Amino acid sequence: MSDTNFKVITAAFSQDLNAATAGLLGAGQRLANDAGGTHIAICCGSIDSTLSTQISAFGDRVIAIDSEPLARAEPEAWLSCLRSISAQETPDAILLGNDTLSQEITPRLAHRLNGASIGDAQSVTIDDGAIVITRSVYGGKAIADIELTASPAVVWIRAQSMDPADKNAAPGTIETVPLNESADLQSHIIDTHDEVSEGERLEDAQIIVSGGRGLGGPEPFEELVSLAKVLKAQNAASRAACDLGWVPHSWQVGQTGCKVAPQLYLAVAISGASQHTMGIADSKAIAAINTDRDAPIFKHCQFGLVEDFQQVVGPLRDKLSDLL
Amino acid sequence: MMDHSEATREVLWNISNGWIMYALLVPTAAIGIYGIWKRFQSWKQGLPAEGRLDNPGKRLRFLWQHALLQRRNMRQRFAGIFHAMIFWGFITLTIATTVVMIDHDFGIPIMKGAFYLYFQSLFVDVLGLLALVGVALAGYRRWKTKPTKLVYTDEASMILILVGIILATGFMLEGWRIVATNDPWGAWSPVGYATGIVSAQFFSVETLIQFHLWCWWFHLVLVFGFLAWAPYTKMLHPLTSALNIYAANLEPVGASLKTIDFEKAETFGVNALKQFTWKDLLDLDACTECGRCTDACPANTVGKALSPRDIILDLRGWLHEGADDEFKLIGSTDSLESDRLFECTSCAACVDACPVSIEQLPKIVDMRRFQVMEEAEFPETMQQAVNSLEERQHPYSGSQFSRADWMQELDIPHASETDDAEVLVWAGCGASLVERNQKSIRSLARLLKKAGVKFSVLGRDEKCTGDVARRIGNEFLFESLAKENIDNFKKHKVKKVVTACPHCFNTFRNEYPQLGADFETVHHSAYLGSLINEGRLKITVASERRIAFHDPCYLSRHNNLTEEPRDLLNSTSQVAMTELPRNRQNSFCCGGGGGMSFVDEPSDKRVNHERAREILNTDADTVAVGCPFCTTMMEDGINATKGDRKIEVREISELLDEACNGESNT
Amino acid sequence: MNILVCLKQILDPEVPVRDFAIDASGLQADPACANQVTNIFCENALETALQLKDLHGGKITLLTLGPESAEDALRKGLAMKADEAYLILNDTEQLPDSAATAKALAAAIDKLDAFDLILAGRESGDWGAGQTGGLLAEELSLPFTAFVDQISLEGEERLVLRQQTDSGWKSFSSPKPTVASITNSDHNLPRIPKTRDIIMANRKPVTTWSLEELGISQDSFPTQETKARVRQLSIPEAKSDCEFIEGDSVEEKIEKLADKIAAIARAV
Repeated sequence: MSDTNFKVITAAFSQDLNAATAGLLGAGQRLANDAGGTHIAICCGSIDSTLSTQISAFGDRVIAIDSEPLARAEPEAWLSCLRSISAQETPDAILLGNDTLSQEITPRLAHRLNGASIGDAQSVTIDDGAIVITRSVYGGKAIADIELTASPAVVWIRAQSMDPADKNAAPGTIETVPLNESADLQSHIIDTHDEVSEGERLEDAQIIVSGGRGLGGPEPFEELVSLAKVLKAQNAASRAACDLGWVPHSWQVGQTGCKVAPQLYLAVAISGASQHTMGIADSKAIAAINTDRDAPIFKHCQFGLVEDFQQVVGPLRDKLSDLL
Repeated sequence: MMDHSEATREVLWNISNGWIMYALLVPTAAIGIYGIWKRFQSWKQGLPAEGRLDNPGKRLRFLWQHALLQRRNMRQRFAGIFHAMIFWGFITLTIATTVVMIDHDFGIPIMKGAFYLYFQSLFVDVLGLLALVGVALAGYRRWKTKPTKLVYTDEASMILILVGIILATGFMLEGWRIVATNDPWGAWSPVGYATGIVSAQFFSVETLIQFHLWCWWFHLVLVFGFLAWAPYTKMLHPLTSALNIYAANLEPVGASLKTIDFEKAETFGVNALKQFTWKDLLDLDACTECGRCTDACPANTVGKALSPRDIILDLRGWLHEGADDEFKLIGSTDSLESDRLFECTSCAACVDACPVSIEQLPKIVDMRRFQVMEEAEFPETMQQAVNSLEERQHPYSGSQFSRADWMQELDIPHASETDDAEVLVWAGCGASLVERNQKSIRSLARLLKKAGVKFSVLGRDEKCTGDVARRIGNEFLFESLAKENIDNFKKHKVKKVVTACPHCFNTFRNEYPQLGADFETVHHSAYLGSLINEGRLKITVASERRIAFHDPCYLSRHNNLTEEPRDLLNSTSQVAMTELPRNRQNSFCCGGGGGMSFVDEPSDKRVNHERAREILNTDADTVAVGCPFCTTMMEDGINATKGDRKIEVREISELLDEACNGESNT
Repeated sequence: MNILVCLKQILDPEVPVRDFAIDASGLQADPACANQVTNIFCENALETALQLKDLHGGKITLLTLGPESAEDALRKGLAMKADEAYLILNDTEQLPDSAATAKALAAAIDKLDAFDLILAGRESGDWGAGQTGGLLAEELSLPFTAFVDQISLEGEERLVLRQQTDSGWKSFSSPKPTVASITNSDHNLPRIPKTRDIIMANRKPVTTWSLEELGISQDSFPTQETKARVRQLSIPEAKSDCEFIEGDSVEEKIEKLADKIAAIARAV
């Protein structure tokens, strides 16, 4: 099926081409290709900025907008900007990433365009002319195929875990649009505070060493921290460990915590409740150390070791520091 | 040979103006009785206490055992013996004084002859000496060895000194009288006689007569002063402790928590003195400050701040101070801080240790109730357990297991699917929702099948018995869970329940009947034992394990069930069992009761580690447990402390399963 | 402050995997497979509202859309000391999607007195779409802030909403009335109701509205308003192709494990 009128808009709010933006562009490009339509990538920057040039390798068209409120990631500014572009372009699908801003404006943009919205899509496809997304529901216990019955379909996706786009044969056109909307924002940012640099964010971590209730207390986490140091990894924990106050809540991975997509997720003494595993499902590789061979975590693992963590973690760290 | 029937002595020898004694008796009695009356009044402000004065026969026997015979007191050898020496000494001296009174004041001549010689002279003299030695030993402990469990007050020292002087002057008076009157029966009072003989070496008879006169009045003033003062001190305990022992809880300790009428109660739980029952308030005055409760408290032992002794003493302090109705107890002193109340594992070691039947645990639970139900302020992890109990009827927030998981492939009928089940097996949350314990309950099921027992289960229809909610202090939640379970038992016409969880066992046995339940409950250790005795189960491969049994508090202390598990365990191994130093009613808690399983303890103050170290000091290679909380707590504790030592934690059914089937690990 | 808190009753997210089942329609979970509980983020929202009320006074109104059983969620909210509760009764078996839910909630809010602040949970523990709050704001033409964990007053007319972001937080200034979706933080752990309040909450009135009373057709709800239609719901098969590291000794196993981990770590 080929529909040359089919348009996909992707809007990346990041100021650089990070993994999430690359994944978002990949998803947009593939969706457009599937339909035989156009992929329009929107970014914030001047028409000749590095970012817009980089992105033009992946979009049929790039709309670069240079605006101070947009650069500041003002939700209402982006909402009206995307709304006016969408009114112009009448896209079939608008894809956004999984950053806070994207998640916040997805339903609002859909409502303003009389479209449909959904979040946390693990895949976006066209089936029989309809846009269908797949997502994990009921705390990871089920998977749903959801059809978006109004157009446009506004979807935020798990961008980090999406494959990046292939480079176009020729770079797309880069254009800009005038912003007519008044900059009068009802609700606006008055303060921003970044506690962690991007490299330290769990979402961006390449390797994660995580611990669970099976550790039995806060002390063994110190061992996991030293193991993580050797691997240049981040530390995380299951909800049980966070709820027990062993580690801060910011370490929590799972349905109600952070959803991660590292190259390796090492789960130590985590049994693997579905709420936890749905937060790590996008990991490239999962490994576990657990005394119980039947622990559900192993069902998600590429490799695992059935041993008591107390006997493993220390020697493993020493061994790895020799190897690396 | 003199005629024994003539033997007696002159009362009030050497004393003129004896009427002064009688005159002094009036203010003495008035002051003393006023003190006692005030105490009575303060107890009366408490709420009614049910079932505390019924069954006088049983109560008098209990009083005989524990007051007169000092049974509980004797559990601690040193203190038990010196206290008994003083106690029996004074009982005897009181009788002797009464004899004098009857003879002299009532004019009934009983103080003569053989009775005078054997009892009034010899026996009283020896017992008096024992009392004096007892006082010396008590002083040695108080001023020399100074154990931390004691409370060091001037009052306590003063009492001891006074009692010592009273006894000593008594012997002097007796000795000097014997010498001065050249009493022909003097040698029948050997201690007094010796005192007299020794004194006569240094002083003339005339001097001794003078000494006697002054000493007599001194002795009298001391005794009367002591009698008037005692009701204002812990020396009222001969009265209050006896009353308290008489009004003791005659049920198992596990039945000692009170229910609440939520329609009528003005306050849920206790935060003011008048919200306690009169028996609770009597408890406070019964306290002798011996400190055995705090000494036995597992939380205190591992360095936590909880001290049942100080809770009782601080409450008593407020009672004596006449704290008004509005005075808030919780947080009023260090020992009554809310945090400390929530360190209690509800193991009842304090209750069991108390020689005078004070019930510390119910008071802790009463105050927890206030914190939980009136203030909603209690440890966060306990809140999570309570929240989970409300939402999913089990305390294990985050469990990935269903109540039906453990019975997979075992093909056990639900109670609704069968009419001819002999028993209903109650797994409980601890067994069905904690992976480790599923092994134990599966072993139990396999054993019952092997024995041909027809049994059913409630599976998904099981709800927490409410034990956790009740001990944490949420009586409201306990009551609603209990009523739902009771309705369910009635619906399925359950007559007999076997459970592997001592907490469920205790709740079913002691607490559900208060809410209208009518079924029999058996702990699996007793039930499996009966199957062996009946020949329905046979040991095929007795192991070579050296087993030590860790008594669960809710079996041993709460329900006096200690031998059934031992008999069973003994039969599973060819090697004799080894006993832990603290065993049976003296068992040391695993740290998991009272909702503490759901609390993250500081790593250096863990009850299970303390117990684990005790176990590791024995030659056992297997720790047998009979409670799902104990299983996880002891396994964690042992794993954290064992080092290279080879030792396993196994549940009773697992060991029996191994001995009957040759395996248990599936 | 007049605050409205939207609550949702959901299937207990902690339903064990083995108990989880899909209903006859094949499109949603079988409600019988677990208890119904209040969505945790909705409780965080209520807690946030209660703290504002504790500080500044005012009234908290609870609103939910659901079957009769959803009254339990309202009762629990009342026990936590919300003032009033409204149930939009939806006795169709089909779960409404976010768009339909937002429409019904907005219709009910229009019927009630004006609010200064309208709160919803960040997402629900069942479907977790996270759309309702934003859609509701649009239905009401009000500003919206997502992932809020703290709210404070800024003068008479404005509020400051602190949003948790990927890397920290942002504060937004928004005019009253405003809509926010609340996320969990250490500051808004839902309070435990006092027993007396639980008993009293059972005696408080809960107003029930039918969809018709809100001008929504009972017969076509939620199909008419649905924009995200579930085509298929399946329980993922637990694949188990885990390679268990074997070896004669723990040391050997650790060595093998270290090699595998090192291979990945080097590639990163």
